[in-house]
Amino acid sequence: MTNPFAPSSSKPGHGTIKLALLPPSTPILQTLSYQYPLKLISPPPLRASNSSNPILIHAVYLLTYGGGIVAGDTLDLTIHLARRTRLTLLTQGSTKIFKSTSRDIISRQRTTVDLESSAALCYLPDPVQPFARSAFEQTQVYNLRGGDGSLCVCDWVCEGRSARGEKWGCWRYTSKNEVWGVNEEGKRRLLLRDNLLLEEGGLPDDGFVGRMDGMGVFGTLILRGPHFKTLAEHFVSEFALLPRIGGRKWDAEEEKLSVEEERRVMRQEQETKDGLLWTSASLRGFVLVKFGAREVEGAKRWLREMLIREGTVEREFGERALLCLK
Amino acid sequence: MTIEDEIADLEQKLQTARNRLNPKPSNRPIGMANSSNTSALHTLLLLADSQLPLGSFAFSSGLESYLAHHRPSPLSASQLPSFYNFLRLSLSTLSSTALPYVLNAYRYPNTLEDLDNDFDASTPCTVARRASVAQGKALIGVWDRSYRQHHKGSLDHVESVKVLSSFHKSLRHGGIQGVEWQSNGHLAPLWGIVTLVLNVPLYESAYLFLFSHARTVLGAAVRSSVMGPYQAQAVLASSDLQNQINDLVQEKWDRKIEDAGQSVPVMDLWVGRHEKLYSRIFNS
Repeated sequence: MTNPFAPSSSKPGHGTIKLALLPPSTPILQTLSYQYPLKLISPPPLRASNSSNPILIHAVYLLTYGGGIVAGDTLDLTIHLARRTRLTLLTQGSTKIFKSTSRDIISRQRTTVDLESSAALCYLPDPVQPFARSAFEQTQVYNLRGGDGSLCVCDWVCEGRSARGEKWGCWRYTSKNEVWGVNEEGKRRLLLRDNLLLEEGGLPDDGFVGRMDGMGVFGTLILRGPHFKTLAEHFVSEFALLPRIGGRKWDAEEEKLSVEEERRVMRQEQETKDGLLWTSASLRGFVLVKFGAREVEGAKRWLREMLIREGTVEREFGERALLCLK
Repeated sequence: MTIEDEIADLEQKLQTARNRLNPKPSNRPIGMANSSNTSALHTLLLLADSQLPLGSFAFSSGLESYLAHHRPSPLSASQLPSFYNFLRLSLSTLSSTALPYVLNAYRYPNTLEDLDNDFDASTPCTVARRASVAQGKALIGVWDRSYRQHHKGSLDHVESVKVLSSFHKSLRHGGIQGVEWQSNGHLAPLWGIVTLVLNVPLYESAYLFLFSHARTVLGAAVRSSVMGPYQAQAVLASSDLQNQINDLVQEKWDRKIEDAGQSVPVMDLWVGRHEKLYSRIFNS
């Protein structure tokens, strides 16, 4: 007997999000489809509270059944943002990578985002948490069609279940972020590639903990485009204002600090307490921020101080874009 | 003794006596007869020389910053164990980030432009970028001013030499399509193509790339008073270092460019924070 229904176009683990622009300026969520084990949930769109241009901002939660990725799962998410639309991608709690039965069974996640001109994406997920003896590869590809797409994307990973004594005990963890410029003729050029490789080999077999220098979490924050210009400048200027390493303060006299300066000093003291190191660099139209800390909590504290107090993310995308830092 | 043995023995003695009377040309030092052998050796010696004017002595590849982040307590304690760890991590990083570009530029020289762009896109901090570009530009300069005039034979690399020349031109005159489309001149891909046109075998090119890095980092360690020159030479001569370099070259032999990446994430932090050191003697 033939099947009377048209074959489903969705495949296991596949998801699609499409934001379109209804003229003159109403963004709508045109497509939201997903297949087990991926689940996408979209709360009602919000208007950014005090943005100069109060456009509707959509948000989508990326969820997986069981709150994590089971060995052998393959997730494939495709996102298309029409020009001038804005999307917030969110997770609910860290993405757990459950242990694999063998080194060869690798779970994978691939996210491809097409941004047309002036579209903006804010993707601040919780950190990925690869359990001991897990194997996971993820790739995030951002295609900028037209020059001025905006990105604020964080990718961070922690040592595993710290409470159970796990310290970078995964078998394999790789995470790659690529940003491509695509011109009118469809010619692609790589603008940025950030690839973290924790894989066997290269170093004597002491797991990965020997190369971490006591850090329990590492992250990369990628900033680009007009929406995040002031935020990017904030990171660059705060990095420039970090005290010199190995310098001494000869002048012991108490200076009078402004409120802003006092907060900065407090943040820097907290960085030291949390064993947090960070850098920022302006290159190829991006500001790339890298950070590492002893514990996830310390890294969160720092991101909160840097992102929430500065205000750009909340102004442009609303408070919920910062959910992962709560 | 059998009669056969006796004959063999006598023949041997006769041969030795004849040789003494009339030395044969085959007694020249091994290898001297073959001029292509010495030319390969000569090229390798040129490239392995620490006086090769790439300015590598100015860079510590993050060592200086690493030491500043790991002050020993008490201050007089030895930084040696900590240094060995750094050298190991530094070689691992270089092999996972840069070595694939060396190998690919050698194998596919006409993709030089793309390799240079992709390497630039994959270098996450200004300090590392500056170091790579400074040495890369110096290498193409050495090729242009010193090696090219002596580079006669090997018609096999005519195309690659053309690629190098036009790349050199675009470096000097800047790109035409705006900042993001400019040539940069990173060391790794240029090392690959320059060693190709100089007829250095691929394995040796890759080995030398990592070896030179180890030598430069050790040189920086000596100048940072981490160890003395004899100790540094002992590390350089050690079979541990040889084994690590061999293992790394073999592991990354077939690595694709798009799978190059950082294997030691904290390295990016040390290198990036070099700018924040109160006092510096190196540029990276």
